[in-house]
Amino acid sequence: MDDYAIGVLTNIALFSFIALSAYLLLIAGEMSFGQQAFFGVGAYAGGILTTLYAWPLPLAALAAMALGAVAQFLVALPTLRLRGLHFAMATLAAAEMARILFELMHWRREIDGELAGPDGTQGFRGIRWIFEHGIEPLHYLGIVGVLLALVLALFLMIERSKLGATLRGVGLDPELAASVGIDVQRIKLGVAAAAGALAALGGVLYAHHNTYIEPRNFDIMLGVHSLAYALIGGLGTAFGPLLGVLLDIGALESTRVFHGYRMIVFGGLVALVLVYRPRGLLDERTVQWLRQRFS
Amino acid sequence: MSFLEVRDVVTAYGKIEALKGVSLEVAEGAITCLLGPNGAGKTTLMMTLAGILRPKQGSIVFAGEEIAGRAPHAIVARGVALVPENRLVFPAMTVLENMHAGAYQRGDKKTVAGDIERMFGRFPRLKERAAQQAGTLSGGEQQMLAVARALMSRPKLLLMDEPSLGLAPLVVEEIFRIVTELHRDGTTIFLVEQNAHMALRVAQHFYLMEQGKVTFSGDPGSLAEDEVIRRAYLGSAQRPA
Amino acid sequence: MIADLVQNTLDGLSAGATYALLALGFTLIFGVLRRANLSFGPAIMFGCYAATWTHVNFGAGLLLLALITVSGAVLAGAYVERLCFAPHRGGSAIAAMVASFALWMQFEELATLIMPRHLYAFPLLYEGDPLALGPFTLRIDALAMLGAALAACLALWWTLYRTRFGLAVRALIEQPAAAALAGINVPWVFVRVFALASAIGGVAGYLVVASHGQITPMLGMWATLKGLLAMMLGGLGSLPGAVIGGLALGLIEAHTQWYLGPQMRDLIAYLLLFVLLAARVPWMTTRSAS
Repeated sequence: MDDYAIGVLTNIALFSFIALSAYLLLIAGEMSFGQQAFFGVGAYAGGILTTLYAWPLPLAALAAMALGAVAQFLVALPTLRLRGLHFAMATLAAAEMARILFELMHWRREIDGELAGPDGTQGFRGIRWIFEHGIEPLHYLGIVGVLLALVLALFLMIERSKLGATLRGVGLDPELAASVGIDVQRIKLGVAAAAGALAALGGVLYAHHNTYIEPRNFDIMLGVHSLAYALIGGLGTAFGPLLGVLLDIGALESTRVFHGYRMIVFGGLVALVLVYRPRGLLDERTVQWLRQRFS
Repeated sequence: MSFLEVRDVVTAYGKIEALKGVSLEVAEGAITCLLGPNGAGKTTLMMTLAGILRPKQGSIVFAGEEIAGRAPHAIVARGVALVPENRLVFPAMTVLENMHAGAYQRGDKKTVAGDIERMFGRFPRLKERAAQQAGTLSGGEQQMLAVARALMSRPKLLLMDEPSLGLAPLVVEEIFRIVTELHRDGTTIFLVEQNAHMALRVAQHFYLMEQGKVTFSGDPGSLAEDEVIRRAYLGSAQRPA
Repeated sequence: MIADLVQNTLDGLSAGATYALLALGFTLIFGVLRRANLSFGPAIMFGCYAATWTHVNFGAGLLLLALITVSGAVLAGAYVERLCFAPHRGGSAIAAMVASFALWMQFEELATLIMPRHLYAFPLLYEGDPLALGPFTLRIDALAMLGAALAACLALWWTLYRTRFGLAVRALIEQPAAAALAGINVPWVFVRVFALASAIGGVAGYLVVASHGQITPMLGMWATLKGLLAMMLGGLGSLPGAVIGGLALGLIEAHTQWYLGPQMRDLIAYLLLFVLLAARVPWMTTRSAS
């Protein structure tokens, strides 16, 4: 497999994490304009830990996930009772604040005689842990792929469990869920923390793949893309967001057919698909149908 | 041929069918009323007739034309106006503006102005409050405004959904007096009511509806009033011990 | 000290005037459709780029450029309305909003394709010196912006309170169920509201680009963020609120930027919004998305 293909596949996997985090919130009935912030938190935290404090990547990734979970939890806590556009705007405000904080963050240390670390709008370069530890791009793809597979397996297990049904119930009709005794607030907080951790995991892996990150990487456009991936792929299964990412990065980007106007094609495709399938290609009905066909 | 003919109308909310095949007729020039317990589907039927809801099946023929599934404004254009449950006046608009809204489809300014004068004649209390915001009116006044608004489109068929809801008995009497007046002046009225007693006093024909279907059709004398009232509130399945 | 305060207030009001227009556009659409159009800013940007393209290739006067901007914005807005909002009427609000989010990608890429350079010059509204009033400077174009914004607000007020169309819009905002029952052709009102909102947005966009003398592809994002922020600050769904929110945002930004710099300026605006939302201040939560 050539380097280009490896790069594309790795990107697909990386963006799947943030797409899945947007998906998780959509299932629970909330539209978030801010997952890019937690992706960024993971990227910066993970990068700082490995580059400036020589933490091993696995440990840094766990710490990044914890930080992402806490961050999204803290955003969710005061905004629990907000719904719809109000909630989305609160997440947007939080995400833009995070991006500005990234712009203001200067966390520099001398490593091997040179200053390293995030330098505000100049970005954070030199996140080279995987290269310094001899991990080839193909191996890294394997690691990222395995992690994604684990996450997907976890999602699939939850989908079939009572928790999954509860989540979807809360998403479709929170009043009804509350009236049958479900603690909607707790569910939403749990979902928020999980989504934050998921986005952060994607972020730390992304930072180490790219070796360079800057605040602009985590602007609202990334949030727009994650929502678009989740919704066009379909809300019926965790493979939905994956499909969304595949459509954009896999089909459109890599085939270079629409070189230069990929976003025009993808954006239009999303809007068009949603006209006929408001809950995406792999929506609940389609997944139901597929399950019946193949069982 | 009746003025309004409803045949086997089925209306669903998602998978739940609120109307399971409703059939009834409204004769021209008469007051017809629809009684039934809460949840029977009376409001759903009214919303379907007005075009707010689309029926899954069935036909609704008004003055010889099929109107099932047509857009609400097209149905108003054909002469059917609904006074909705809970009046739904435009709260920040004045009484006068509310009435103009009812006349939205009419282009003839002079006759509209004439109609407004006549409405004020019929509803003197509205004239007093012409420049007042509709949201500040009392329940009874809002109900009258809602009726006036619907009448501004000069409907041939006036639908009314629970006009007495939440109103004091004296006000209810006034509302029904107006209903009788309108009938005398030639408007056909199809009226949904919880207040079976008042409704039976004015109607020429009535229907009972339960759980999405019509269960009885007759004129006010055909069933003992207390039996009608019992069915209207409790449904025919329940019988006292 | 006082001089700074007054100067910043003047600057803040003129920036706020543009924000007010953007917020009005968002609020018109939200008030009537109960959904946010996230391609509002990008559609405005499309209009501005259409004008830029005309100017770069043919040269054009201020008035023509303004007309092109507004027409372009209305055209782009109509496209968004047909593809993202008309199909989901009565359906999923999330699908409509995410679809409009997705079209943003289209507009941004289109802008960079047609006008590949990151920055283009745009004819200034006024090229002379600012007016000096004692210790204060009043930029003529800032005055023009305030004037144009005021004129647009008056035109909007007149439309809403003195025309039949305006009555229909207000009916839909106040009591959507009864509006249809009154015989109002709701889908057609939606189309016209979109056009009106896009036109107002186009005016705002033109004022911004003509007062800065330049245009970049960031305009779409900028207009959307400022418009949303101002709309939410003023209380979602309220037209007077949109104007107040816009002016307030302009004032807050001008003063915080003076004392704390541009990044803190944005940070504080977002923090304010977050806090107000979290506190569920009543004026902000009067209407929710459907």
